[in-house]
Order: sequence, then structure tokens, then C-alpha cells
Amino acid sequence: MTEFLEAAIDKFTFRVDPGCHYSSEGIWARFEDGRVRLGLSDFLQQRSGDIAFVDVKAAGTVLALDDEFASIETVKTNLMLASPVSGKVLQVNPALEMTPEVINQDPFGEGWLCEVELNDWDANRTLMLDADAYFEKMKHEAEEVQRK
Amino acid sequence: MRSSSHKVAIVPCSGIGKPYGTVSRVAAYQVTEDDRPELTRLVPLALLVMGDEEYGRIVTESPAITIDGCPQACATKMVQQSGGRVAHECSVLGAVRSHRDLKPQGIAELNEDGEKLANALAQEINAMIDALTVAGPDK
Amino acid sequence: MPELPRKKVGIIACSGEELPEGTITRLAALRVLHQVRPEDTVTICLPLFLAGGEGDRNFARFYPTIAVDGCEKRCAFRGTEKYSNRPAAGIVVTDLIAQHGLDQPHGCRKLDAAGMKAVELTAQEVADTVDELLGKGLR
Repeated sequence: MTEFLEAAIDKFTFRVDPGCHYSSEGIWARFEDGRVRLGLSDFLQQRSGDIAFVDVKAAGTVLALDDEFASIETVKTNLMLASPVSGKVLQVNPALEMTPEVINQDPFGEGWLCEVELNDWDANRTLMLDADAYFEKMKHEAEEVQRK
Repeated sequence: MRSSSHKVAIVPCSGIGKPYGTVSRVAAYQVTEDDRPELTRLVPLALLVMGDEEYGRIVTESPAITIDGCPQACATKMVQQSGGRVAHECSVLGAVRSHRDLKPQGIAELNEDGEKLANALAQEINAMIDALTVAGPDK
Repeated sequence: MPELPRKKVGIIACSGEELPEGTITRLAALRVLHQVRPEDTVTICLPLFLAGGEGDRNFARFYPTIAVDGCEKRCAFRGTEKYSNRPAAGIVVTDLIAQHGLDQPHGCRKLDAAGMKAVELTAQEVADTVDELLGKGLR
């Protein structure tokens, strides 16, 4: 059972998975056996709203750092997601085709977006935030959002 | 005239935080007031949850069509918790996915796309009601 | 233990679909949340609250809430009390209408002029109660 970092702001509770690295936009990357799984952070999915459509680049697509690897359409907004890693898409989460809401329901688990075979994880990782740093950034952003 | 126990219960989600809740409510009004008034009964979720006798009886004696505004599916869960039978679960998100060109906006008042989406959802529900009722719509 | 960075008030509208007063609670709550006191209030979705939304339930345990009900059945007040904590204040639209001698509202889907006047009155009453609860006094 993952022990999430948690911040409660107004009626919302935002969780951060300590086992992931994060882009500043809120894309998480979890490294395992030479590949990473990518997904939306809990804060990003809650802030974006209920997901109606998701398109992820197909398996075989080669990604450079910051290439758009997925787009998401929610009740509130359209998001173009930039890849925090470089490599080749190995697999897109098959659950997304029929039930994209799984991203809202379980953003760090069943709601992952895709798996990428990496070119250089060490190089990518240094450009990302670790969980503690992202947690602080997220709390600050969440409090700003609530103040508005 | 059908008794209320033979009518189909229409249960919208009642959410007020997002346009999808409004779409569910507008679709429910269209079905129960304009399209199939003789065959349906609108069930307010808050009363159902608070144990109102009349509405509790309606959902236990009649098939229910729930209209959920978000994946939390409050309407469906609440009918089930009240001992009712959910004949069909409709979701606004499902309607959005079937009508990708429509972008509903507005909570207090829907925009034109929101109204169109509510109408599309109402037509879907009308077909379900017709299939559930032996004689079809009384009109 | 959750952090409590800033005191806000939760607004819970009954949103009952079968009475014009339910529509009045919804529109008044939205007016307060989006226009009149946006920085001081958050919406609590009654159906989600009742269906087990932990975030909403926890909020109502730690922060003051105002239940806005359409009728004397007071579903929002009783639901909040049952599932979380006693609301700090309760407003009933039928009482407000009687106290101020307003005309009876009509139209659940689309309120008439009397209904819109009641929305204005209810929103003001909610806003004044928010100010009281936050110790801001009348503005």
C-alpha cells in the first residue's frame, strides 16, 4: 500500500506518490526495468476535471523531451501533455479507450497513460522534480488556485 | 391514467458544481415534463437519500433510470442504496463521448451546446422508457 | 490531520428538482459561490456528500457550513448533520418568502419573476450569514 504525501486544501485532498518523479506541469514518471510509466498527477487531474477524451501517441512513436505525447479533453479544459522523458512509446494503457475516467479515479495506478522505453533516464530525471519538491510546488499552486 | 407505481422513476444526479449536473437535470425535466409525462416520475435525489417515504416507495416499486453527471455516480448509488432497481444507468459523460462536437458550458444556465446535449440525452432516455413500458408512450 | 490554511464557509443547497424553491436554493448558492462571496465560500455537492464524498464530508467537519433548503423537509440541513456535522446555519426558502411577503414562485425549470426575486433575497441572506460566520460584519 503506497503511503502518499497528502495536502488538504478546502474540501480537496491532493496526493503525491513518493515513488515518482514529476514534471513541473504535473506529469509523473515511475521508473522500472529500463522503462517509465507516465501519468497525470492527482492535482493535475483534479484541477482539470472529469476526463471525457484522451488521446495518447501510439506504440512505436519516438518521443523527444517535451514532445506532446498525449492530449486530454475534460469538462473544463483541453490539455496538451509534454513528455518529461525521451524514448519510444512501448504501450498505451488499454483501459483508456473505453474508460478514460480511470485517470480521475486512480491517477497513480490504473489510470496510467503509457509506457516509454528510455534513452537516458538519468539525464531526464535531473530535469524533473522529486516527490518532495513536487509536493511543495503543488501545495503552493493549489493554495493559489483556492485563493482566486 | 397510470398509477405512480407503474411509472418509470427518473433520477438525475442533482449536482450543482459542474455543467454536467445541469445537463442531467435539464434532460430529466424534458423527459418528465415534455416528452413522457404520463410514463415517468421525477425523483429528487435529496429526498430519496433522506428516506422520504413516497419517493422511497416509487423507486422500490418502479424501474428507475438514473442520470449521473460524473463518475461518482451518486444517482445510481443512491437508488441502489434505497433498495431500488436501476433499469438503466445513463451518464452525461457517455453522452458527451457520443457527441464530441458538443461542448456544454454553464451551470446556472446551459449554453446552446449544453441544451443540445441534454436533448440528445433525453431522446436516449425516451427510447429506454418506451422499451420498459409495454404499451409505449401514451401519446 | 489535514492542514486548515484559510477559513471558508461551505454552502450546501438542497437543489430539490420537484419544487421551484429547490431551484431557488441552487441558483442562490451559485450566485454566492461565483459572484457575491467567491473568495469566502466553497460548494458542497449534496448528492456527492451523501454518496460518500470524503473530501466534502471532512470539509463540513472542520469548517462552518450553511444549509440552504427549499422546504420544511430540510434535506440539506438534515443530510449534513447526519453525514458530517451540524451546519452552523440553516436557511429555508419558504420561510424567507413568507417573512418578506414575496409572491409564490413558479417554474422548476425556469423560474418566474417572483422566483428570481427570491433567488436574490436568498443569496443576500446566505452572503450575510457567511459574513457573520467569518466575523466580517455586514458589508
